[in-house]
Amino acid sequence: MSARPVPLEALPAGLVWRGARLAGTPPAGRPSGFAALDAVLPGGGWPEGALVELLCDQPGAGELSLLLPQMRQVAAPRWLVWVAPPFIPYAPALALAGVPLERLLWVAPDRPQDIRWAARQALLSGSCTMVLAWQSQLDMAALRRLQLAAEQGHTPLFLFRERRVASQPSPAVLRLQLEAGDDGTLSVQVLKRRGPLLAGPVHLSLAGRSAPRATRFEPAGAAPAHRSRTRARFRPGLSPEAQAALQHAVARPDPARTRPAGQPARVD
Amino acid sequence: MDRHPRAVVVAANAAARDAGVFPGQPLAGALAIVPALRLVDHDPRQAAALLEEVAVWAGRFTPAVSIDPPDCVLLELESSLTLFGGLEALLGEVRGGLASLGLVHLDGTAPTPLAARWLARAGDESATNAHRALDARIRALPLAALADGAGIDDTVLSLLHAIGCRSLADVIALPRDALARRQGEPVGQAIDRALGRRPDPRPAHVPPQTYLARLPLLVPTDRSDTLLFLLRRLLAGLSGWLGARHAGVDRLQVILEHEGRHPDSALEVLCGAPCRDEQRLLVLIREHLERLPITVEVDALRLQAAAPVPLPALPGDFFDDRNLVRENADLLRARLSARLGSEAVRQLRVRADHRPEQARGDAVAGSDASLPAGARPLWLLPQPEPLRTPDRLVLLDGPERIESGWWEAPEVRRDYYVARARNGCLLWIFRELQAPHGWYLHGYFA
Repeated sequence: MSARPVPLEALPAGLVWRGARLAGTPPAGRPSGFAALDAVLPGGGWPEGALVELLCDQPGAGELSLLLPQMRQVAAPRWLVWVAPPFIPYAPALALAGVPLERLLWVAPDRPQDIRWAARQALLSGSCTMVLAWQSQLDMAALRRLQLAAEQGHTPLFLFRERRVASQPSPAVLRLQLEAGDDGTLSVQVLKRRGPLLAGPVHLSLAGRSAPRATRFEPAGAAPAHRSRTRARFRPGLSPEAQAALQHAVARPDPARTRPAGQPARVD
Repeated sequence: MDRHPRAVVVAANAAARDAGVFPGQPLAGALAIVPALRLVDHDPRQAAALLEEVAVWAGRFTPAVSIDPPDCVLLELESSLTLFGGLEALLGEVRGGLASLGLVHLDGTAPTPLAARWLARAGDESATNAHRALDARIRALPLAALADGAGIDDTVLSLLHAIGCRSLADVIALPRDALARRQGEPVGQAIDRALGRRPDPRPAHVPPQTYLARLPLLVPTDRSDTLLFLLRRLLAGLSGWLGARHAGVDRLQVILEHEGRHPDSALEVLCGAPCRDEQRLLVLIREHLERLPITVEVDALRLQAAAPVPLPALPGDFFDDRNLVRENADLLRARLSARLGSEAVRQLRVRADHRPEQARGDAVAGSDASLPAGARPLWLLPQPEPLRTPDRLVLLDGPERIESGWWEAPEVRRDYYVARARNGCLLWIFRELQAPHGWYLHGYFA
């Protein structure tokens, strides 16, 4: 018998199962707008009608920008519901980012049980493109009810929670840990998905946060620095701290100015 | 309770009738047979109000509704047959609707109103509007049918009984002129009206301009689920009233009347969008009712609807997904507002103001302003927070000077920067132009 090695790909499909593959074909998801993220999400995007947990302790890491491509797609008569956001969703920035403000519903309940209730109603009504909610204190039963409501209403729920709950079990089909990476990227660590575990985080470059450095600053290095310095000179009464801060600015790129043409004018 | 010494039974339910109680029986006699009889005073006004309620509700089936007192509502169904898919289907909806209102009823169908009334009373529920069968159906009715709704007094009936008439066939067989000479003229006229040989116009019921319905509770209760069940009946009437005028309501009022001197409680229900769907209205009322602590038992319910708003029939497919989503979206917003309070459900707005705090609003959605040219963060802090260690931040962009609002209260004179914190997060910070030139955190580029 000849023992010629046969490449795995040449074997009939289904004969050999490799551990790195996802079991079964998950239902197709909504493309997230980030190719690198779609590559690691089962179904190639955000799941339809499921609970997605986003664990993030740092406001400003880019946690909302991650969902902006989805939020731009909200169209009448559907809602985009935010339940109990920790800060004020800033209307001018959302409008700049292309989010349809007239479809955004900001629900600010007083009590924790009302947060859960409002999120469940939004999911079950079937009239929301997506629901965002901020609540860390949730027990298993409450999470399961939310997951069920998301399934029944075919509406994804993005639940923002603190990172410390990562050790607690959750029925969420997807758990992502968000951190600010270097150079304005957003580092996304997949803690749980329907499939094998991933070793390392995925780095996403968010529009307006990191791309400009690579594109403009190096070839035309002096211009932004010059601009910052000029501006600094206009400020005669700067405190020592501010002077120090401005010196940093001299050495740093100017994302707003070094944006490639055609990109919206914003940094978020 | 004191009652008239010669009070009589007006109506009895099946259990009482089985025990030997019958309408027309003196009350003393009925109590002698069944001492445990539960008595409810007959209130003609309440009966009239019930007929009115049914007539309003029936507006959903036909525009031609007529009240035939004291106990009958007439619907002209001929013109609605095509819309509802035939007489059988339409009758099914009418019967099902009345049952869901919690009403026990008799119905009859005939080409003339009087015949329909007689047939209903006689228990002939065959669903036919054929003229051919009418004559035979009328002839088969017992003599007693004449007593109902035709204005024939008892002496004429006993005369007919005395000369051997037992059914209407016998009466029809009598010579007309001889009958007329013996005060029997109304009998001939009534039979002619029932057979359609003589016109029998009925006054059309005009639905009220504003909807106001009251439902007294036989047993006072403080249970909200019982109240919701009873409200369903009031809402069904409202829905019929609205359907008849192709309208919806965007607000309505539910008033709970309490026993004794307690003031009424009122629920103000806002619908978000004009609506006439009973289920949706009920869901909204439930949210309000659950928030209301009912401490005193409720004696009666009142439903009041504001001026109806035209609500066009939905275009296109009845089960159109888009319309359903739109209705659900309106309902979701109304429900959230009902439970959490309208101030807890907000929409975002961009306002024409250079001051960051004033450039947003959260009352009515929309934008009346051009957007700022500079970078703006997705999160804004409600109050700027003083930065203790601004030197640890890396400034990426700025300054953007914002000086505005000297003419009114919060004057802003600041230089805004985009900064990166040591953990990599992007912040929106500013430095006061006035002394002491403090650094503040005002937002996050999330």
